[in-house]
Amino acid sequence: MSNLLNKRLARSLWRTKPRLFAVVMMVAVGVFAGITFSGYSHNLDGMYETLHGDDDEGANLADMWIDNRSTTWSHEEVTNFCSALEASWPADMDELDSCEGRTIVQGTMFHSNDGGTQIINSLWHGIPEFANADRLWMPSGHSEGRVASAADEIVIDAHVVDALDLSLGDTVHIGAGSSPVEFSIVGIGYHPLHVFMAPEGSIFPPEPGQYVVGYVSDSGMARLTNSTIGNSNTILLDVEGTPSFDLPDTEEYEGDEIDSVRNLVSRALENAELDGRIRDRGQNEPVEIMRQDLEGAKRTSVPFAVMIAAIASITIVLSLQRLVQSQAKEIAALRTLGVNRMSLMTGYLIAPLAIGAAGCGLGAVIGPLGVDFMLDFYEGIVGLPITEREVPLSIYSNVMIPTIAVVFLSGAFPALKASKLDPLEVLSGQNQIRVGSRTLRRLTSWMPTTLGLSIRSSIRKPVRLMMTFLAVGISLMLFGSVQMMSAGLEDTIVGGLEDRQSWDAQVYINHDQEERVIEWADQRGATYEPLIEMPIGMVEDPKGLERIFTVVGLESFTEGLREINIIQGDPPQLSTSATEVLLDEGAATFLGWSVGQSHTVLLNGAEHEVTIVGVTRGELARTMYFLRADLGEALGVNATSIYLTLPDGVEVDSSLAEISAGVVERETLIEGMNSLIDQQTQIFLAMMYLGLMFTIAVMFNTMIMNVAERDFELATLRVLGASTPSLGIMLLFESLLIGIIGGLVGVVFAYGGAVGLAASFSTWQFYVTVLIVPSVAYQLMLGVILIAIAMTPIGIWRLRRMDLVEKVKNLTQ
Amino acid sequence: MPLVEMKNIQRHYETPAGIVKALDGVSFDIEEGERVILLGPSGSGKTTLLNCLSGLDSPTGGSYKFLGGEVPRHHSEKMTSFRRENIGYVFQFFNLLQDLTVLENILLIQELAGNKNSARAKELLELVGLHSEVNRFPGEISGGQQQRVAIARSIAKRPRLLLGDELTGNLDTETSNRVMEALVNACRQEDITSVFVTHDEGLIRYATRVIRIDSGRIISDEKVTSDNEN
Repeated sequence: MSNLLNKRLARSLWRTKPRLFAVVMMVAVGVFAGITFSGYSHNLDGMYETLHGDDDEGANLADMWIDNRSTTWSHEEVTNFCSALEASWPADMDELDSCEGRTIVQGTMFHSNDGGTQIINSLWHGIPEFANADRLWMPSGHSEGRVASAADEIVIDAHVVDALDLSLGDTVHIGAGSSPVEFSIVGIGYHPLHVFMAPEGSIFPPEPGQYVVGYVSDSGMARLTNSTIGNSNTILLDVEGTPSFDLPDTEEYEGDEIDSVRNLVSRALENAELDGRIRDRGQNEPVEIMRQDLEGAKRTSVPFAVMIAAIASITIVLSLQRLVQSQAKEIAALRTLGVNRMSLMTGYLIAPLAIGAAGCGLGAVIGPLGVDFMLDFYEGIVGLPITEREVPLSIYSNVMIPTIAVVFLSGAFPALKASKLDPLEVLSGQNQIRVGSRTLRRLTSWMPTTLGLSIRSSIRKPVRLMMTFLAVGISLMLFGSVQMMSAGLEDTIVGGLEDRQSWDAQVYINHDQEERVIEWADQRGATYEPLIEMPIGMVEDPKGLERIFTVVGLESFTEGLREINIIQGDPPQLSTSATEVLLDEGAATFLGWSVGQSHTVLLNGAEHEVTIVGVTRGELARTMYFLRADLGEALGVNATSIYLTLPDGVEVDSSLAEISAGVVERETLIEGMNSLIDQQTQIFLAMMYLGLMFTIAVMFNTMIMNVAERDFELATLRVLGASTPSLGIMLLFESLLIGIIGGLVGVVFAYGGAVGLAASFSTWQFYVTVLIVPSVAYQLMLGVILIAIAMTPIGIWRLRRMDLVEKVKNLTQ
Repeated sequence: MPLVEMKNIQRHYETPAGIVKALDGVSFDIEEGERVILLGPSGSGKTTLLNCLSGLDSPTGGSYKFLGGEVPRHHSEKMTSFRRENIGYVFQFFNLLQDLTVLENILLIQELAGNKNSARAKELLELVGLHSEVNRFPGEISGGQQQRVAIARSIAKRPRLLLGDELTGNLDTETSNRVMEALVNACRQEDITSVFVTHDEGLIRYATRVIRIDSGRIISDEKVTSDNEN
């Protein structure tokens, strides 16, 4: 008996094939997304482990970096420091594997092509041939050549070779505040600090080929910088294993192990009378950003899969409920004939399981394709090869088991409802009788009756309507939140750079050597403005964690070449007692600081008292703004770079490059930012379109159910002579109403999603402000309304093909 | 000129088992003001005939003229338009819209026909004895009252022909009588011709003419003297 009942239910479901197909597809997409994101993060995790690994295949990422870019340590100083550190190293601590000096300098590449000589902002690493930590990563099949050993050899980072059309054996001309020096390319590889090709202090990678990183030998670096072999400005420490370090994006403090190392290093530096910034992996931005990117991918997989499963569940609940409703008479007849409740329930419980199994199966089959697509996409964006790819069984089970559980549970309510139908009530038609809402009547009594009926019919089942809006809201959260966050990012970050800044090029200079650049500018009639910009601020957050921030010293905050968006307070005035500063809103939020407060911060290791006089918007990185005079006095530095506004016909040329330590053009920066935002948005593009598809599917389902449920009413009106256009207008009103409310709900959900997404992304390193950009909100609203309106023809089509003779039979029997 | 002229009307269905002749050469005229009852056993073709009369179904043969003009067939919108302009319909289960009040149910039909008139809607409710229930929802009144609302609704747009299929089939005898009295009264007042399908021989007293039908053919057609003529 039970099998026959189940067969009956299966056939009933089969009659609603489009809806059944849509629900199976939703489950499949949920599983697909879950497997795709989980598989993606799993493979990325593996890739980073390989890259950072201390073995033949890896590059052995250092555990600690000590640097000071405004000085140079001699070989002897570094050796003495390392020896002292090694001597003080306790026996019970993990062994110190290596302590190595390196030189890392900003510079330029003079790249000749058909268009002439291009000046490209660059970074040059001097890496000894047999270095232990932060080596080059040259995975077989994805890199070429070997590391540089001779003084005229260089390895070029693989990220840029295609864009600049470079290959092994080519000659390149590079500089570091000097005339071009010739090097020969002997290798093409990767470096663990340059997974993401953004210049130091920025998280925006310029367009490919607009920023070059090269790796020369120690002798090559001496030749480039015209100094002695062994001189360095960075010391790398590698400890056996990986001492735990604090993860900036977590509440807990995990940095106890690295703190022991840090204490030893601080003492050793002090004893050696060396000044330097000490950073662990959590404080080294290029490393930390990629770790957080990976963590973000891991975190994203669950909410996306859950959101999709929730939409599928809501659709299943609504669809099964509608099925129960339409089968009420059959169920009542079966109950009258003695079929017990459990037999009835079984079918309605098996149905979602079957739907879930079909969806999961399909999702599992296509999941690996999604993983591959995402990994290819990552390779395309980040430019790093993912050499080994796999989707372990645990990922399938972690995604499919909760999905099946959620889908199964969604069948429980309709099943219970079916089993509780009272045969007498159904067969006597009592279950069809209901009393309309007086409140609704009062609210709509002034309207034309057709419009009033549309509104009352639309909200006659508030629970279903709310579930529909919930599903639409979640769908739009998928679709709109990324769009909203991206729009907010573009508005604040790119908008700020485009509209509030008017410089053409930022010329980096070696320590206090701005005169030559100013002279260059004067000769060409360019406007200039010196500034100080260094990531050397440090502060203790409310949890006692040391946070690094960038300090910026400007001539003016409102009239210079770089205007600052002050959202609260006033620009700083030249200091009297405590230095007046502006703080970006991200730092203010994380530190809990507000305007009027005074705090102590470390600038280049020295304590300074500052008073917050304003809060700014438009910085992704944590930043403190000073008047240049104040900051210069505190740091003993006059300027680190110069903004130039170039008159027509004047361009950045080799003569400027030779007297600078790198040149960045604003247009390049803007292109890079736009490109990054586009790329990040593209990662979620598939999700966005899935959200849109779900919105359409949910609205379609609701509209079909509404019309199906109103067959009785519509048939009555048709029999009584209502024309299809007049009924079409009623359906249109209904669609519009659902569309407008759905759109509003969608905007609220999308904003909530954007805030949530931004909060999950926002860390000390990367703070995102979510602004409601009206155009995005309007787009979302309009999208939902259009989808709703587009469903009206389906209702009209249904009306047109309604067999009135059959309907009248139902109406009169 | 008769209101309805049906000549040799056929409604045949093709089924896997062969051709089913639901109506097999039905001919009759109906004059304005008549109250016709169609009587016959189940499957006799009376509902099919009612559907053809209302323009819900298209005969497969014969001629059907309404006020001398051929009634449209096989064209959904033209048939709807014919119903809108000429036909009122009362269902067995009333089929009132539950979200609208008694008055609004009538206003809706007027609005769809393009002649919304609240005063007339109230007048019609008074005619069927429901003037005190105008603001109640269908779920709040009895079955008999609902059927009277349905009658008021079907005559709200002043149809020339009012049709009903087993319209008292769901009501007890006393309520049936009250509904039929309201119907006869309303038809007379509004000068509406009516045709009703029923099994109930007891309703003959409300008719002026009884047509008996079986196996798709008319087996008798007689004028009767209605108890309600006085």
